[in-house]
Amino acid sequence: MTKRKMFFRMITASLVRRRSRMLVALLAIAVGATILSGLVTIYIDVPRQMGAEFRNYGANMIFMAASNDAVFDMDAVDKGIDVIGSGKIVGVAPYRYETVRIHEQPIVAAGTDLSQVMTTSPYWMIDGEWADSDEQFMVGRNIAESLNLHVGDLVNVMGPTEEDSEDQLNFGLDMKLTGIVETGGKEEDYIYMSMTDLETLVGEGELDVAELSVSATGDELAGYIDKIGSEVPDITPRLVKRVTQSESTVLGKLQALVFLVTVVVLVLTMICVATTMTAVVTERRKEIGLRKALGASDSSIIKEFMGEGLLLGGAGGILGSVLGFLFAQYVSVRVFASSIRFQPLLLPVTILVSVLITGLACAVPIRNATSIDPALVLKGE
Amino acid sequence: MSLLELKGISKIYGDLKALDNINLSVDNGEWVAIMGPSGSGKSTMMNIIGCMDKPSLGEVLLDGVDISKESAKNLTEIRRDKIGLIFQQFHLVNYLTAVENVMVAQYYHSLPDEKEALEALDRVGLLERAKHLPSQLSGGEQQRVCIARALINHPEIILADEPTGNLDEANENIVLDLFKQLHEEHTTLIVVTHDPEVAEVAQRTITLDHGRIKSDKINEMFGKS
Repeated sequence: MTKRKMFFRMITASLVRRRSRMLVALLAIAVGATILSGLVTIYIDVPRQMGAEFRNYGANMIFMAASNDAVFDMDAVDKGIDVIGSGKIVGVAPYRYETVRIHEQPIVAAGTDLSQVMTTSPYWMIDGEWADSDEQFMVGRNIAESLNLHVGDLVNVMGPTEEDSEDQLNFGLDMKLTGIVETGGKEEDYIYMSMTDLETLVGEGELDVAELSVSATGDELAGYIDKIGSEVPDITPRLVKRVTQSESTVLGKLQALVFLVTVVVLVLTMICVATTMTAVVTERRKEIGLRKALGASDSSIIKEFMGEGLLLGGAGGILGSVLGFLFAQYVSVRVFASSIRFQPLLLPVTILVSVLITGLACAVPIRNATSIDPALVLKGE
Repeated sequence: MSLLELKGISKIYGDLKALDNINLSVDNGEWVAIMGPSGSGKSTMMNIIGCMDKPSLGEVLLDGVDISKESAKNLTEIRRDKIGLIFQQFHLVNYLTAVENVMVAQYYHSLPDEKEALEALDRVGLLERAKHLPSQLSGGEQQRVCIARALINHPEIILADEPTGNLDEANENIVLDLFKQLHEEHTTLIVVTHDPEVAEVAQRTITLDHGRIKSDKINEMFGKS
């Protein structure tokens, strides 16, 4: 039998046949690895989770025409979306603003894709229902009150008069009012309809603005802005700073908190493992004395006890990785109401960190073990 | 030629002389019993001969080499290569089986050989108990495992500290029979004991008192019983 085989036979025998003792050490390591793995998983996944949460606060990027000469239509918007990648896009709502008339009063109408507005402006409160087909429309609360409009009314909406535009005929549409928009902001001063209805009323034209809700961090958004600015000349992209800055601040604080907790847990784990290993070594003073009496060198003793410690660290790391993912999953479902993504790289990292921490924690008690005098121990002194 | 020679050995702790100018030589193949009351210096002498302690004064020649000035590292190597230890409390590793306990001594000495370890256990009558843990063995069986472990590396000297101190009469006889066999094979045995019956079966009995040799007698009845 080789020395290596005997080495592993001894350390596995120590772990398996002294399992009640070793279980305590294993649990100490596994608990530390669980919290570590769980918190790091959350730390990594928080931007994604929070990004989805932040999308409830509305669009975080807008596209505008780069200049008066630029062609700002849906094709240009699609080019910008291609730069970002459709996987990151939560919603895109193009807007075209034109003046129409209701009860002979000039009103600003926004032609848009209302199904997309639901995703880019999920905070809108609708009294009634969202307009979901042509010849339906919604009005802002201020407009509804000033024109005495109610949900369910059939309203004649007129395009510009011949005086307003030399090119346009005086079109009108009888449209059903499905909902009244309440936001507490300037959105209450407009009416909202499909782009098709607006074109029917005022003819074809270019977009004024497109609002985008993008699932990305502040730094990523800044990167997209630069890239779109250089690759799509018709568009000037901008960040909605009110939203992105809030996101960055909250994310930064949350990640700092998780990082701090992770460091504290690491230190506590190390203390716990060191204490446990000290107890393990202390209760095995006689065995160490015996091994020295049988001719074990200091390096042999260190190798054997460190081998046990590292094996425990590895086992605790594996256990902790699995439990850590379950822990992170539980927290994610409870806090963010969505499942977490498994980070494959975290498995070897957790095992490696557990092994390193256990090795460090074992170093001092094992070093002390080599100073045990075999003569004193074997006499029971 | 003497295998072991102690020349003017003293071990001094402050004002206390645990050993006081001991001169002793043990020949190759000799069976020596060391007796004496508690505090007479038996264990101190055993520790020095067993390379687990160093004398304050004097020389210890083992196989002609002075080991009294050697470093702790060298003493460990000498102990591993030349000395087999048997303890009153057995001192087996409690999570290793009988055969694994024997193999531990091989592991530190050279290469573990399970077949050879099983043969050593067979010699002490424990082949069938080879896979048992110490907690599954009686005191006598544990001591026999300890003897098998001490023999496995073919040491030049077997040092036994009260080897029958924790055994009943039947097991004491088994252990003493094993010692007789070892002596017949020319193994050098040094046995510390309180028990006159154990001392009587040895070839030579040295009695210590207050760190000095009080008597050094050849057992005239040796080999006759």
